[in-house]
Amino acid sequence: MFGFGAFRATSPLSGGLLWKIPWRLSRFQKARQRKRLRAVDSVVATLDSALKKQGQSLRSLEVWKEEMPTEAEMLPKDKYTIFDRKEKRYRKGIHKLPKWTRVSQRLNPPGY
Amino acid sequence: MPFFRITLHRSAIGLPERTRGVLAALGLRKRTQTVFHPVSPQFAGMIMKVKELVRVDEVEKALTPSEMREERRPPRGFYLEKAVPRVDYSRAAGKGKEMA
Repeated sequence: MFGFGAFRATSPLSGGLLWKIPWRLSRFQKARQRKRLRAVDSVVATLDSALKKQGQSLRSLEVWKEEMPTEAEMLPKDKYTIFDRKEKRYRKGIHKLPKWTRVSQRLNPPGY
Repeated sequence: MPFFRITLHRSAIGLPERTRGVLAALGLRKRTQTVFHPVSPQFAGMIMKVKELVRVDEVEKALTPSEMREERRPPRGFYLEKAVPRVDYSRAAGKGKEMA
């Protein structure tokens, strides 16, 4: 009826606020998410080894190493979803978090 | 003296003013810009604040801008992978004209 191509009448284009945000990440988004997690891990490891050679330490670095799991230690659930008390079963995709590709979000409430 | 070689990989557009201030303090103004800072807890703490945005290496000496430019320069010359018999282009062109 409306044909194909860039200007076909789809529900998001027919006016109003209807955004199509998938409820979960694609496997490519998940792969890039893992890559970003590993990049942060490598920065932390570099800082740690460089300071250790100097015999120095840094509190924020120690706290991070103590509390935060590395990419390999994280559960898939925590890599790709985030706790939300308003959501059914208390989980939503991590891509709903504002600036999710540039912030660290690794821990969730225990038990959820 | 060892240095941190810090490259801004992700832009800080839309991130909090504090985060952008840390980048400014590190001297990072645009993406792929690289700066060197001595290894110390002070600079390590600043990098921790922006760890999602930067790539960090530990290097022995700080490079000058001209040395960094030299590092990016591709090797000069070319490699001959397989020799091909030479063609005499003036004669080849003459033959083409005759046929047309």
